[in-house]
Amino acid sequence: MKSERSWWRSPWLSIRAQIGLGAIFAAAAVPKIFDPPAFAHMIYNYRLLPGSAVNAAALVLPWIEIWVGAALILGFWKRTAAWISGAMLLLFVGALTVNLVRGNPVNCGCFDLHAKDRPKAELLADMRWTIVRDAAILLLVAQVLSVNRKERRIGP
Amino acid sequence: MVRLWQAAAVIGAAIFCAFLSNRAAGPERRLPWVGDYPDARTVPVLLSAAAPTAVPSASRPPGVPGASTNEYPPHPDRPWVAISGDQALSLQGQGIPFLDARRTAVYLEGHIAGARSLPIWESTVDDGIKKLYEEGYDVNAPLVVYCSGGDCEDSHMLAERLHRFGFNNALVYTGGFPDWEKRGLPVEKGAPR
Repeated sequence: MKSERSWWRSPWLSIRAQIGLGAIFAAAAVPKIFDPPAFAHMIYNYRLLPGSAVNAAALVLPWIEIWVGAALILGFWKRTAAWISGAMLLLFVGALTVNLVRGNPVNCGCFDLHAKDRPKAELLADMRWTIVRDAAILLLVAQVLSVNRKERRIGP
Repeated sequence: MVRLWQAAAVIGAAIFCAFLSNRAAGPERRLPWVGDYPDARTVPVLLSAAAPTAVPSASRPPGVPGASTNEYPPHPDRPWVAISGDQALSLQGQGIPFLDARRTAVYLEGHIAGARSLPIWESTVDDGIKKLYEEGYDVNAPLVVYCSGGDCEDSHMLAERLHRFGFNNALVYTGGFPDWEKRGLPVEKGAPR
């Protein structure tokens, strides 16, 4: 049990989880920052926000992602950045789940904003996989949070 | 525990950067902060099964697709009616303006010959509609609007926007550019001549 915990909290894993999580968020932000209208279109397709709020979300969300990514990669405010990234991932999973339940196929809009027209069944299958992927990324968040908790306990 | 001031700083920095980058962006990449779209929270918003369709006139000569613009009276009570590819072809032959609701970059890759770009997701759309007014275009005359066919809603959204600006006769070519291309009809690439 103890060795499992030490593996989970090892510095080797921790640094990789932290940088990997940061890189994922930074990579996801870049295409959105360069093309906010395309991202606004993706957000609109989720049909969760009022039309008036779509643009503001499309403009601000990618910059939150890039700041969270930068904090994790550069190693400042790690715990706060991990909490925000976890909250955003839960938000994305929730949005995808709602649309899966509704049977409304959407392009994820996570990394590629110019997805081609694809059959409904294919899009719905992709949405399921994206939820699984986001759950895996949440494991990275959990790792970063658990290690930082440990650092806090033994720190000065 | 999350340090709230750090979270607030991240969100504040994000809003500040978003503001700066949006100001610096070109018209094709800029967004107004408050969106002007139909309520997105109802599913489906526009592509209902009961979509109104332009009814072909009984006076149309057999075998001739479409006919005169008298077939398309203004419909101030609803933002758009759907038309088929045959009807779109006929209207193009009569010199009715075609409006392409897709993104500028997509329009430049190929569009219906003579179509004007009015990308609903770009900040230039309202200026484009105002230009129609300035050119003295009759608000009751037909305007054909199209996008990428299939589930594409951009043309319906543009038709709704036109309707709010007072244009009463938007005709949505539901097959859109893919249908036009499939029929081997004239297309153009690049900026309009």
